[in-house]
Amino acid sequence: MKVIKAIYNFIVGDMVILLGVIITVIILALLNFVPVFAVFRVASGVILIVAVLVILLTTLSREISPRG
Amino acid sequence: MQWAVASAAFLASAVEFVEAFTIVLVVGVTMNWRSSLAGAFAAAATLAVIVATLGVTLVKFVPLDVLRLVVGIILILFGLKWLKKAILRYSGIKALHDEEAIFEEQMAEIRARGEVPEARFMPFGVALSYKAVLLEGLEVAFIVITFGSSAATTIAQQTSGIASAALGAAVAGVLVILVGALVRAPLTKVPENTLKFIVGIMLTSFGTFWAGEGFKVDWPYADLFIVGLAALYLLSSFVLVLWLRQVKQHRELETSSRNTAVHVQK
Repeated sequence: MKVIKAIYNFIVGDMVILLGVIITVIILALLNFVPVFAVFRVASGVILIVAVLVILLTTLSREISPRG
Repeated sequence: MQWAVASAAFLASAVEFVEAFTIVLVVGVTMNWRSSLAGAFAAAATLAVIVATLGVTLVKFVPLDVLRLVVGIILILFGLKWLKKAILRYSGIKALHDEEAIFEEQMAEIRARGEVPEARFMPFGVALSYKAVLLEGLEVAFIVITFGSSAATTIAQQTSGIASAALGAAVAGVLVILVGALVRAPLTKVPENTLKFIVGIMLTSFGTFWAGEGFKVDWPYADLFIVGLAALYLLSSFVLVLWLRQVKQHRELETSSRNTAVHVQK
């Protein structure tokens, strides 16, 4: 457990960023590998950029929230 | 020589080496320079071995598409982490990194242990110096490997990419040591926050670009699009800094008016 925590802290150390990036990767993987979503594949780049900005905004909002 | 890769590695390394140098300096001043430098050089050698073995393994055995996707995702994680810290510091929500305060704190800790300067090797000093350089340098080693191995399309270019990144990191290391040796004090004048901000933007931009390529995104204007990404992230970060400053000011006003109200009631 200590090793996992050390790796997590070393690479990211922020649950919002980690979850946000994982969700984005899953969405992009679905667009790329599931034929039903193929029509949205062209928007992959835009989705990735918007996701990065949303993740940044969310993690900063969490930092300034009364609990954060 | 791949300049974008070398400069990104240089900037990232400069920040981390300044942080590591503070601890090396503390050990040098409070115990002795022999222990301090032995720990620092041992850590540098460990980092060189990590870069050489891991870098070559990645380049040789992992296909470029897979490598770019994984590296892109890791760089986005790293980049967002650095960018978040830099934005919070610029907006005044988090205190700026203060090397002098860290220096004093470490000095006090070592003095509290009862360590006195001696000429012989002091295991605690070697270990402290080694740990500081290794931990700060690991992130740099990671950036060197990921940046260097992804910024090219052929194995030869990938190897040259790792070499460029390693050179950038080494130059930063030598520069920090030289300036530190001359100043003999914590390097407080280095604009650590600005460097962190620039590196955060670079890592996030390259990360987005490579992760996108891993998902077969056809970026307009090819590699030139990275500049556009950097500009977009830079602009967004400035907007976020302004927004956070406003939030902070608003809170401070609220607190002071609440305090005044309580004072009047009394």
